[in-house]
Amino acid sequence: MALIQCTNLKKVYTVGGEEVRALDGVSLAVEAGDFIAICGPSGSGKSTLANVIGGLDQPDSGSVVVEGMDLAEAKDKQLSEYRNKHIGFVFQSFNLQAHESALENVISPLVLGGAGKKKERVAKGMAALARVGLTDRAKHKPTELSGGQRQRVAIARALVNEPSLIIADEPTGNLDSSRGADVMKELERLNGEGITLLVITHDPTVAARAKRVIEIKDGKITETAGAR
Amino acid sequence: MKFKDQFRTGWRNLSRQKLRTSLTIFAIVIGAVSVTVMLSLVTSAKGFLMSSFEKTGEDRRVIVTPVTGLDYGEARWQTWSDGSGKKIDDAAIAALAAVPGVTSATPIVGAQYYDSAKSANAEVSVSNSFMLGYLANGSVTRYVTHGRVLEAADDNGGVLISRSLAEGLGFKDNLEAALGQKITLKPRKDFSEVMKDVEVTVVGVMFADGDAIDMTLKFALDTAPAFERCEGGGPNSQTTCTKESDVLRNGYPSAYVNIENKDNADAIVDEVKKLGYGAAAGQEEISAQSQAFTILGAVLGGIGGIALLVAAIGVINTMVMATLERTREIGIMRATGATKRTVRSLFTVEAGVLGFMGGIFGILLSFGVAILLNGVLNQQLEDGGISERNIVSIPPPIAIVVILVTTLIGMIAGRLPARRAANLDPVEALRYE
Repeated sequence: MALIQCTNLKKVYTVGGEEVRALDGVSLAVEAGDFIAICGPSGSGKSTLANVIGGLDQPDSGSVVVEGMDLAEAKDKQLSEYRNKHIGFVFQSFNLQAHESALENVISPLVLGGAGKKKERVAKGMAALARVGLTDRAKHKPTELSGGQRQRVAIARALVNEPSLIIADEPTGNLDSSRGADVMKELERLNGEGITLLVITHDPTVAARAKRVIEIKDGKITETAGAR
Repeated sequence: MKFKDQFRTGWRNLSRQKLRTSLTIFAIVIGAVSVTVMLSLVTSAKGFLMSSFEKTGEDRRVIVTPVTGLDYGEARWQTWSDGSGKKIDDAAIAALAAVPGVTSATPIVGAQYYDSAKSANAEVSVSNSFMLGYLANGSVTRYVTHGRVLEAADDNGGVLISRSLAEGLGFKDNLEAALGQKITLKPRKDFSEVMKDVEVTVVGVMFADGDAIDMTLKFALDTAPAFERCEGGGPNSQTTCTKESDVLRNGYPSAYVNIENKDNADAIVDEVKKLGYGAAAGQEEISAQSQAFTILGAVLGGIGGIALLVAAIGVINTMVMATLERTREIGIMRATGATKRTVRSLFTVEAGVLGFMGGIFGILLSFGVAILLNGVLNQQLEDGGISERNIVSIPPPIAIVVILVTTLIGMIAGRLPARRAANLDPVEALRYE
């Protein structure tokens, strides 16, 4: 059984009086351990799909079933817990809290989820930082880190709750090519350790590393390329 | 999210905007101080007044008058009788004293005016100051600061003199020295008729209390014969009279009835009225004044409350600003697992911390204000010869309630911005620049 089963997802936005079909009947199964790249031009609906799968947004119709729960019907509390425990988000613009240190950013999902004591949180946070090779930067604020380091902190934050799925929305978009390659290597390594990976990108070199590539246009899946 | 973490996060977020946070707290401090100081002043003044009533024995006093329908304030000035109403004679005094619950009954006879008083060292001119006579049984206690109250042994000319009079007579530096001194009074009748000088002996010095003119002098009732048997004439009376004839004809102008239990005052007033006299309880005055203080407290507290309300608007403003500035942060928190409820309580707690801090600093500042006020008032009290000190105090219940109320106000004020923050669409919030 698929880790996440999306069926006939529809979502319509109204922008400036015009209807935009962000999702127009999308069905997709995400298997555990998969590495999927979602490609498509901007405004194609790829971010909406990722947000719906990540429980950050809900579709107008259709279903997203994760472990028997339909995210399309879920309440805020269930969705939040799902994002907290099962999903790790990695964003193009890193989205770290600027006033918090790297470690504090990494353990913030634990704090928000009310998990464990401070000591346990710090231990988990340091372990996550160790996985991205940044233990020596734990006390640094995001402004004191390079772009690549920031993104690795964001990855550590995504990892800290041992999620089943990491959703990365243009993770290399704000990085130069060598740093971007490092971040992709990091993500691939995690995928190798069993974490399912969903990467939104329009960078063909990133897409080329995926096991599966999905093309979206006007809210519809136009093409699915198989495993490489 | 655990409350401890919410509190820590709220605190941390507040300290990121130190100036804005301090200003918002400062506004609450002003509100808290005004409410606290206003209410404390009123309760302190009320407490001071109530303890004065207890000291003078007025809380356990009923004034009996020949005529009916007078309130306590009016009855207090019934110091001469024109013969109207039911006569209060010695038999009536005995009957009053026999009413169950009454400890003693004292006729009050006024009054003589006097022009000047002379001691061995000095003479003081006072022009028509008031003298008030009591039956010398010591039942009327007043603010006697030196010496003692009038006793039966003072029948032959013992007097209580006011502190001002004692100072005028040359005992300013040593009030104690006035005791036992003989002083000569020049009494007057009806403001005009000069009478023979009388010699009296000072048995005590008193602080002039509420109903007394500064130079008031009090004498034992039976000293009256020494005043040419001529007391009891009121300001408009043209007749010359003797004490005997006046009292015999008109009876005593009023009587003080002292009661055992102040809660019985109403019942005893009713009993006395059944005897055909007018009666008014000191309790009546006390509750009237107490009520006046309650109203004053409500009005002043309300004014302070307006300051708090304005501060609440400041909290709303601060928190709305915070939600705007932190829109993206809210988005990140939502993406990493914060529920709407968590976001809402984070902002509510933050606003509550503002209110709490304002309350704490407000109470601390109020204590400072109380110390300053007491510094000024203590000097006044000392000058006035009153033994009380530090009469302004902040009752702990007021302090606690003010802190709770400011915290609550903060949380209520933060409610609207907190809801706004919680209801942000996480996807939109993450895109917010």
